[in-house]
Amino acid sequence: MNERIAAQLNAEKSPLLKRLLLAAVILALLIWSSVGIRSTSAVGNGMAVAGSIVRGILTPDLSFLFDFTSQGVPYLLLETVCIAFMGTLVGAVIAIPFAFLGAANIVPKGIALISRLVVMAIRTIPSFVYGLMFIRVTGPGAFAGLMTMSLCSVGMVSKMYIESIEDLDKKILESLDAAGCTFFQKIRYGILPQLLPDFASTVIYRFDMNLRDATVLGLVGAGGIGAPLIFAMNSYRWNEVGSILIGLIVLILVIEVFSTRIRNKLVRG
Amino acid sequence: MKNRTITLANGKTVEQPKSHALLILVLVLAALAVSVHVTGFQLSVLIRGGYRFFDILKQMVPPDISYLDKVWGPLFDTIKMSVLGSAAGAVLAVPFSVIASSNIVKNRVVISIVRIFYSIVRTLPTLVTALIATYIFGLGTFAGTIAIGVFTFSYVGKLLYEQIETVDMGAYEAMEALGATRFHAFLYSVIPQILPGYISNCLFCFEGNVRYAAILGYVGAGGLGLIINEKVGWREYDKVGMILLTLFGAVVVIEFVSHQIRKKLT
Amino acid sequence: MIRFEQVSKVYSNGVKGLDNVTLDIEQGEFVAIIGLSGAGKSTLLRSINRMHSITGGTLTVDGVDVTKLKGKELRKFRRKIGMIFQSFNLITRTTVINNVLTSRVPDLPWWRSLLGIYRREDKIAALEALDKVGILDKAYSRVDQLSGGQQQRVALARTLAQNPSIILADEPVAALDPVTARQVMDDFRHINREMKITVIINIHHVDLALDYADRVIGIRAGKIVYDGPASQVDDKVLSSIYNGEEYGKMEAAQ
Repeated sequence: MNERIAAQLNAEKSPLLKRLLLAAVILALLIWSSVGIRSTSAVGNGMAVAGSIVRGILTPDLSFLFDFTSQGVPYLLLETVCIAFMGTLVGAVIAIPFAFLGAANIVPKGIALISRLVVMAIRTIPSFVYGLMFIRVTGPGAFAGLMTMSLCSVGMVSKMYIESIEDLDKKILESLDAAGCTFFQKIRYGILPQLLPDFASTVIYRFDMNLRDATVLGLVGAGGIGAPLIFAMNSYRWNEVGSILIGLIVLILVIEVFSTRIRNKLVRG
Repeated sequence: MKNRTITLANGKTVEQPKSHALLILVLVLAALAVSVHVTGFQLSVLIRGGYRFFDILKQMVPPDISYLDKVWGPLFDTIKMSVLGSAAGAVLAVPFSVIASSNIVKNRVVISIVRIFYSIVRTLPTLVTALIATYIFGLGTFAGTIAIGVFTFSYVGKLLYEQIETVDMGAYEAMEALGATRFHAFLYSVIPQILPGYISNCLFCFEGNVRYAAILGYVGAGGLGLIINEKVGWREYDKVGMILLTLFGAVVVIEFVSHQIRKKLT
Repeated sequence: MIRFEQVSKVYSNGVKGLDNVTLDIEQGEFVAIIGLSGAGKSTLLRSINRMHSITGGTLTVDGVDVTKLKGKELRKFRRKIGMIFQSFNLITRTTVINNVLTSRVPDLPWWRSLLGIYRREDKIAALEALDKVGILDKAYSRVDQLSGGQQQRVALARTLAQNPSIILADEPVAALDPVTARQVMDDFRHINREMKITVIINIHHVDLALDYADRVIGIRAGKIVYDGPASQVDDKVLSSIYNGEEYGKMEAAQ
């Protein structure tokens, strides 16, 4: 063997040891986590329950599904969409200052770090705790729900805003400067046109997610379809659960199709 | 609406495509009006009563440090739920995503069925999955693990088949051309391309799952949510504060580690 | 007329960008500035519209002392001078015409510039500018769907829409392939001849400079080492710009 080849061969660290170590760490983690997992009831009983759930969902309560009064599924879905819409909007606005304070290319690193930690803290508080806090301000209902949702959106939305802000192309500002634009005009015509499509895309994506998470609000009586759903589940009315779930799934799928199209258009043109 | 035409000085004309901006603005404003009406949103209420939002928050400070000893157990339960659920969901997603990829499977029907299945599973709210799981498997962390697993399955699964579809198949063809079996070709040409992205997605999903797992306790699926719910019920907010502080610490550490690993991967 | 009188520029780190430069550029000239990277081409160009400030001497454009301009006066002064960049500096996510229209923004009333509602005359001016560079049919396409050459033409149209009397171009074709580069240079020649706009180009393709410019300025280490017609640039002149040895011998001989 050529000397240089031998040297190169020896220079490579043994990948076997590294991989074995990695595998051991992962295995240990999995074993550790499976030790504590427990549940209270026997699975035999569970299968019977599962059967009745499936049966209930497959034979939904049609009169409930097509009840167009304020008690029926369509109105509850409308309310849920409205909560998600307002919640996303309010969250999108709250996220703006956090995003600019968290972008490392705009503010000093220390401030960016602090802002990101604050956002992380906001994200850590579970939604039902926010629900309880807002009920003191607005009383129970959809209003509390949308405010809860807005705070829960701030984390992800500001994180994605930050990415867009850090991707900003600053060269455009140079050309606006050379054309004699003022500071304000540089922001309006150099920065906003770059950010708006991204921001809009983020907000629409989050709206999708909020629609899915809207059921959580039912836990604290904060409006939408969550409360009737959980109520029906707790009292084993699986036909009602079926009609609500069917309504929810169809709604989410339809909205997802539209939102994906809009977002593609925004980003790719 | 008709396209407007602009005539230049030299006689050339340009069709100005109609702008949707106005239409979109009207639609958004209409949606806003309906939503404000339905939800009863009032800015004045927020401004006047906004301070009450901080009532509970103030009672959380200072957190009850002595309660920390009782937080560790549920915290680790939550993390365990997330680890196991994320791992199970991510592994289960692999075969489904392979047969949902149009560059691996040529049968349109199979692809469509798997993708629709993914879409429907993804629409299921995690909380509902958890609640159903508690009915079937009983109260406890197992139900939470199932719910986390189902969510991870649908989330990682969708990203995975999108990723497999963008793989450069040139290397795969080259392997086949030099006489490798299709399985070997897949193993040595496709997997190295998708593995870093896949692991990165799993870790990202795991980060979010830790937070989500903390909520699941509310419906009896074990973990931190269980004690948060209990302490909120007894209005022992200083203890709630301690729980949230611990969760925050755990999330920061997990996100930091996971972020470092993901940075290395990509 | 642009007049440099003993202009110097020393950067804060002590590097000399321009060293005692004196030259006149008449209205309607087509000037190419050539030289090594870092020789001061960019500094020379950018001092004209004060994107860079000079540290010594006087620089006047049509009798206006550039160094004395501030704030609103400076912005008004820059309206007369168009600028083209190597990297096009366009907003790629929006339409061609919206990019061209941005150069009309400083002349809009404040409420129009806030809302982004342009006057009909602005739109016509923008479209006519696009017509002059031959991409009128792309007016409502998004910039990211255009080729590099087309994008540089959008940038050119954007500059034309502000009715400049001078166009400064900083390496306008460096990011383009040879064929497209010539097409863009053709546009510059066309604009220079038809509209009598002064064109000053920084360029490192010597062949393009010689083919298109009437006058060539060679710069080395912040000093002007050649200033004359493009037709008289020969190998000796080029090596004086790029190597600096031949020129020294020539001076000694004289």
